Amino acid sequence: MAYSNKVLDHYNNPRNVGALDRNDQQVGTGMVGAPECGDVMKLQVKVNPETGIIEDAKFKTFGCGSAIASSSLATEMLKGKTVDEALEIKNTVIVNELALPPVKIHCSVLAEDAIKAAIADYKKKNSVGNPAAAQVAQ
Amino acid sequence: MFCVHCGTLQPPSADYYQFFGLKRGLALDAPELQRRFYELSRKLHPDRFTRKAAREQQYSLDATAILNDGYRALRDPLARAEYLLKQEGFDVGEQRGKDVPPELLEEVFELNMAIEELRHGGEDARGQLEEAYGRFLAMRDAIDKELDTLYRRFDDTRDRAVLQQVRSVLNRRRYVRNLVNEVEKELAPEGQPAQ
Repeated sequence: MAYSNKVLDHYNNPRNVGALDRNDQQVGTGMVGAPECGDVMKLQVKVNPETGIIEDAKFKTFGCGSAIASSSLATEMLKGKTVDEALEIKNTVIVNELALPPVKIHCSVLAEDAIKAAIADYKKKNSVGNPAAAQVAQ
Repeated sequence: MFCVHCGTLQPPSADYYQFFGLKRGLALDAPELQRRFYELSRKLHPDRFTRKAAREQQYSLDATAILNDGYRALRDPLARAEYLLKQEGFDVGEQRGKDVPPELLEEVFELNMAIEELRHGGEDARGQLEEAYGRFLAMRDAIDKELDTLYRRFDDTRDRAVLQQVRSVLNRRRYVRNLVNEVEKELAPEGQPAQ
């Protein structure tokens, strides 16, 4: 199957590959996977606690070209967004941007899941938007 | 499959268990399945129908296709479980890892990192990979034993909760299988030359 030029671009020059310190209070880490294809995707965000804006995003994905491109694009989209805006990112945006064929849509879903997992991890660490949990934790 | 009165071939059942005349279950008598496969292969072979009516010839072609697909699905314990789960209305082979425990994802991730290092010629990674390879093989064996137990439990109880467990263990099994393949590729002597 032929990959679109955009997928090839992200695959050959992935943006924001790497890792952030997962123990950093400002960092949220999302690790997701698709057992069927053996893919694993780690996506991390670094949030400015004052503004709630994502200042940095990194990923590392083991999987097919579309999975790598989806997560690469996701990190680009995340930077500069607030955590709540980030949760609004839908996989369909990734599908359209990368012109993913139907058999590769699950890769974009995985990227969306990774974003959600990273934000959830950040929120859990900082008990944002979940005062009940914060109280229980105290 | 054949009419009891006139002996003509009837439209074959697309249900593999029915087709082979086997009890619907996750554990299965493998030699019995093989015996029936050979017997049906002989009886249904299209060559035996060349002088029959066009409709019967078509049934024989249909039946042969189901025979082969069905045999492939039922003889492999994993494919069999997937088939039965699908019949019972479960999502199978769904490409999201909701049922994968986080520790497994972490481990898969770390192992992939090690594979990548090996690809770049890091010999330290090789030892790590060999160790991981052994661990993953052991994991695969343990999963197969677990599946075997679950299969029997389902056949005894017909409890859907057991099928749910089977589904989640199968997901785990897929990951481990992929890893084993991946590591084998890297450890193969004809792969990357040692630096």
